[in-house]
Amino acid sequence: MKKGFETAAEKMFLLSALLSVLVTLLILGFMVILGLPLMKGGHFFSLLTQGWSPRHDLYGIYPMMMGTLAIACLGVAFAFPLSLGCASLVSVLAKGRFAWFLRKAVQMMTGIPTVIYGFVGIFLLVPLIRELLMGGSGMCVLSASVMLAILISPTMILFFTDSFDRVPKSYTDAADALGGTGVQKLVYVILPCSRKGILTGLILAVGRAFGDTLIALMLAGNAIQIPGSFSDSARTLTAHIALVIAADYESLEFRSVFACGIVLYLFTTLTVLLLRASENR
Amino acid sequence: MKALSEMNRFMEIFVRSFSWICGIVLLGSISCIIGYLFYKGLGTISLGLIFGDTNPTDALLLREQVFDGLFPAIFGTFSLVILSVSFAIPAGLASGIYLAEYAGRNVRGIFGIFFDILAGIPSIVIGLFGFSVAVFLHRHLSDRIFPCLLISGLSLGFLVLPYIIRTTQVSLESLPLETRVTALALGATKFQNILYVMLPKSLPDILSGVILAIGRCAEDTAVIMLTGVVASAGVPKSLVSHYEALPFYIYYISSQYTDTQELLSGYGASIILLIICAFLFLIAFMVQKGLTYHALYRA
Amino acid sequence: MKTKTVRNLIILCLILGLSTAGYAGNLDAFKSQKGSIKIAGGTAHIPVMKEAAKRIMKIYPDIQISIAGGGSGVGIKQVGEGLTDIGNSGRKATDEEVRKYGLKMFRWAVDGVGVIVHPENPVKALTKAQLRDIFSGKTDNWKLVSGADKAITVYTRDEASGTRKVFWKKALDKGDITQKANFVVSNGAMKSAVANNPYAIGYVSAGHIDESVSPVELDDIAPSLDNVKNGKYTVARGLYSNTKGDPAGLIKIFIDYLFTPEGQKIVQEKGFIPVK
Repeated sequence: MKKGFETAAEKMFLLSALLSVLVTLLILGFMVILGLPLMKGGHFFSLLTQGWSPRHDLYGIYPMMMGTLAIACLGVAFAFPLSLGCASLVSVLAKGRFAWFLRKAVQMMTGIPTVIYGFVGIFLLVPLIRELLMGGSGMCVLSASVMLAILISPTMILFFTDSFDRVPKSYTDAADALGGTGVQKLVYVILPCSRKGILTGLILAVGRAFGDTLIALMLAGNAIQIPGSFSDSARTLTAHIALVIAADYESLEFRSVFACGIVLYLFTTLTVLLLRASENR
Repeated sequence: MKALSEMNRFMEIFVRSFSWICGIVLLGSISCIIGYLFYKGLGTISLGLIFGDTNPTDALLLREQVFDGLFPAIFGTFSLVILSVSFAIPAGLASGIYLAEYAGRNVRGIFGIFFDILAGIPSIVIGLFGFSVAVFLHRHLSDRIFPCLLISGLSLGFLVLPYIIRTTQVSLESLPLETRVTALALGATKFQNILYVMLPKSLPDILSGVILAIGRCAEDTAVIMLTGVVASAGVPKSLVSHYEALPFYIYYISSQYTDTQELLSGYGASIILLIICAFLFLIAFMVQKGLTYHALYRA
Repeated sequence: MKTKTVRNLIILCLILGLSTAGYAGNLDAFKSQKGSIKIAGGTAHIPVMKEAAKRIMKIYPDIQISIAGGGSGVGIKQVGEGLTDIGNSGRKATDEEVRKYGLKMFRWAVDGVGVIVHPENPVKALTKAQLRDIFSGKTDNWKLVSGADKAITVYTRDEASGTRKVFWKKALDKGDITQKANFVVSNGAMKSAVANNPYAIGYVSAGHIDESVSPVELDDIAPSLDNVKNGKYTVARGLYSNTKGDPAGLIKIFIDYLFTPEGQKIVQEKGFIPVK
């Protein structure tokens, strides 16, 4: 009796774990099945390299891929040095109450809803950038990537501080004993020791930047073109899903949304595998 | 030697000032964002913002519909949170327990990869999944199913499921050996040990993970915008109704406000959502610190 | 004591019930109705839909009316697929759509599609040729049409928009729209985008034009209600509500309500031309 109950419990735990795995697979499965008409005859790959022009029956998502790449990479390029600096401040250079306050502030920032960053971005950042760039709509790659940088920095900072704090105390004590300054300790001991943690944080941030919808949707203007400069408007893969979702279910236009979904899914998988590889190295 | 110390001094100044500039930029921008929000929106915070011209008691008892107020959106957000969490907690707990206590090394590794992928999938893709499932079921199962509150709740559940699995797994695995084996040595079964010893011990960690998951459900916009949230619906009447939600309202207002009054209510809604999320965050923080540990598990 | 309170409550309820019934007028048809109506699609329709829903739900709380946007294309497809009860469109459904889904169309208002710019923009009139060049991206600076020396930001809508379709056909004569154009998701969003950007140009349902944006005369004709009504301004269209097959029950009552004097008054108040 008791034994049966034990096995039943274990079976139940296994079942829910299997269900959770199943959901992960189903998400990909659904997109592949619904996007299937696009993929027949190797269309999928031409989709990835074609432009978007419904009037000429072209439903390629290349401009959106470039838009995602531009905004995400620029965002990470802003956020990475910012995070590295803040993390150094929090765990090494700043002392006492300020370091504590900064750490708490960064933790709190991770809880701020994305839509609020977007909302304030529209009314505060966009007009500023419009005047700064002298014209254009202000809804552009630059606005989106600046806001994105503020959005992804807190998580990256926390990750960096964690790995800085994990550097064995004997190492940092040795630096102190040799009379090293805080900066020397940081540059010669802590940074080299936490290379792996920095890499992990960076990969996570890239994943987050690629996957964010709201910031680009609200701030990048959503023009379907390959952005050529900071002041160009662009559309990301995620924003494309949000915008076209409403269209009808039969059209090729709507099916292109699933191509976007598949690309994002595969990118996520790649990120996860990279993370595993970097952790096991 | 002198050149080296010159370089050291330069590096000293450079690294130090760079870090401080980064800190100031980050704190500055976040205070700008929050300050701007409160500067613009604090004046709108009132009962009227939430209930419009309806009597608050009538609205809360659902006796009367609220128009020109945030009540339906707040109600929608709370229903979403409850739905998604009541689905994600049991599934997440059970999967986490399986991973930590029952699974072998290989299974744990493989399942772990899947849950990491699930955690990393952009929320808009989860929303797309929810939408496709709804349309699929509408066509093949029942024409009463379409994107609605229930579909959104389930999709949000999928979104936070990996967080709950991970926190459960990690907090169980990090229990010290003597906690794990004492009850077993006294003759408890594995299941009893998990239920009566290990889960209570790791409850604060799991709970703070759950609260953060609630925050995620409350703030997410991308999932719900594909799965049934609408601009105007009133308080949802059933699980298969359309509904309003706070984050979507903010998104909607940001681009489609018709007059300054509506725009101001957007600022008000942002402040309310910010306060809800900050509040959840504080609770999670306190729980993790163990402040509520005794209160919750005195028995 | 207790019975007295109860009696008072009953009296109060009766009075309330009577007074609401008296106020309802054209809303009487909704009496003792229950259930929900899902509306999606055309975004020009939203102000009218919202006002109608508000009046109905205020008096009959058992009725839930939800309103979503998406655009005309979405309205037609969703109602065709049965995902929504009423699909609004700012254009006539095509013959193919009508045949495929068995749509019934109800045209309850006439509306124009007008070009708008920021109120501070000195450009208040354009020729059709100038407009075509601006939207195709050939004219990219306001100084070329005697405005300030600033780059023009073109705003447009997505493929699902009926407003876009009408504008593209009747104002641009099916000319190209530049790839640099920023996308917005609804008539409301178009208006606020242009109102917030001094160098913007866009097109919007005439009913949505207010003092926050400035309408542009097209070949010397302003997109005003009068000009649409007397046929001088040709970029015009009907506003339709579509159902799959003949509407029944609550949905029929709702559509009928749009054609009652009260419903048509809402149409007029929101800036459209009533059909009755």
